[in-house]
Amino acid sequence: MSAVSREQIRTMMAEVLSAQGKEMPTDDSTELEGIGFRSLDFSELALRVEDETGEELNFDAPGLRQIRTVTDVLDFLEQLQGA
Amino acid sequence: MAPAGADNRIITRGFTGTWAELGRQFEDTLPPAAAIAVRDNLEAARAVWAAASGEHELLVASGTRLTPELSEDLRGAGLAIVRQGEVEPPLTERAADPGRVWLLTSGSTGRPKRVAHTLESLTTVGQGQPPRVWLCPYAHGAYAWWQVVTLGISLPGQDILFVEPDELDTWPAAALEAGVSAASGTPTFWRQALYRDPESVAALPLEQVTLGGEPVDQAILTRLTEMFPDARVSWIYASSEAGATIAVHDGLAGFPEEWLGVEKPGRATLFVEDGELLIASPKRGEGIPEVLRTGDRAEVVDGRVLITGRMASDEINVGGAKASASAVRDVLQSHPAVAWASVKGRKAPIVGSMVTAEVVLDGEATEAELVAWCAERLPDYSVPRRLRFLDQIPIKETLKSDV
Repeated sequence: MSAVSREQIRTMMAEVLSAQGKEMPTDDSTELEGIGFRSLDFSELALRVEDETGEELNFDAPGLRQIRTVTDVLDFLEQLQGA
Repeated sequence: MAPAGADNRIITRGFTGTWAELGRQFEDTLPPAAAIAVRDNLEAARAVWAAASGEHELLVASGTRLTPELSEDLRGAGLAIVRQGEVEPPLTERAADPGRVWLLTSGSTGRPKRVAHTLESLTTVGQGQPPRVWLCPYAHGAYAWWQVVTLGISLPGQDILFVEPDELDTWPAAALEAGVSAASGTPTFWRQALYRDPESVAALPLEQVTLGGEPVDQAILTRLTEMFPDARVSWIYASSEAGATIAVHDGLAGFPEEWLGVEKPGRATLFVEDGELLIASPKRGEGIPEVLRTGDRAEVVDGRVLITGRMASDEINVGGAKASASAVRDVLQSHPAVAWASVKGRKAPIVGSMVTAEVVLDGEATEAELVAWCAERLPDYSVPRRLRFLDQIPIKETLKSDV
């Protein structure tokens, strides 16, 4: 299966937030702490990406860095596919 | 001497008549120590009738359970394998142990083990039962199957309608025709029946409804109690190792906390240690420890001891927090639109594993609604994050969902 686009990841992230009764910010520089996007939510988002691609994400890949903003999440999951 | 239930009727595919009318021809061709791989309940009933003579050593199991590896094990242990009239001799010669009945454990944690019983140790229901026609949907040779069967051959007035695995969708019509008044099945069996054809099930004149073989939750007990207000609704805790040890008839999940530690002649003594149910049972199989660690998780809630699931598979570690799969399952199954649910851990990045669920609906509910339902009742790490909706309730030959 092909990789999930940045826009698709964004939509999935909005779905994860929505299921928690939270809103996806329009500004990607928004800090995750401010919108209540926690590690459980990040894990769920990763599972959604895995379900879409049919492949397990390799979180042991080099380059794991601090994830602070919406942009960081989108960058990270985009880069992780195929890592 | 013929068993007391020799004139009780059995109804099974290909045969309607009494145990005595099954005849003895099968017995005459049977090796003295044999494992019989049966195709259906008629073959199984003939094997039981042979066992009732007390002159054979027997193991009865569905042909599908006796895999080549297991068959080799049994032959090595001195049992001949009888399959569709063909006999494979034992690999070890030894004298038969007349009257011995072997059961196989479920094998959920590896290859099934043999547990030694006799017809007497498998007979757990006492005299003085009202006449009934029992439904027996259990897998051939399973402990619960033997419980219904020994009731049928040992107590007058206890007839049995057997259900084959491929008749699980259609049994209510046959049960109505046969006048079934008592039925025993797993919670999954009952959930599936109520999901598929609640009207036909409700039409049955049931006086006794029994559940066992899996954790029994309040939602299914309540549903059956409401459907059959005049019936006694019971749940039973039983296994081939421990025997039948707990019977609860008050329509509530779990058993009263004050039963713990009570010693009574002929009754099992129950303990909870480190969250595990321990049982000292007079009905246990031979060679089973006097105090058996069941591997089943037990917790005391509001004065009731709830048996919720297997210790080994219940705990889901979500980022260091411990979620209970059975607790999540019970919350999902308490939702009015949920007919059945199964909860598992799934490997997930960052937190290690996450709670996921499969659900069958018999009403209207969205994923978001079910997640919200759980979020109101469970800590956040226990709320299932990925829900999958199935079209039908999965059920195995064991009548269970997970084994």
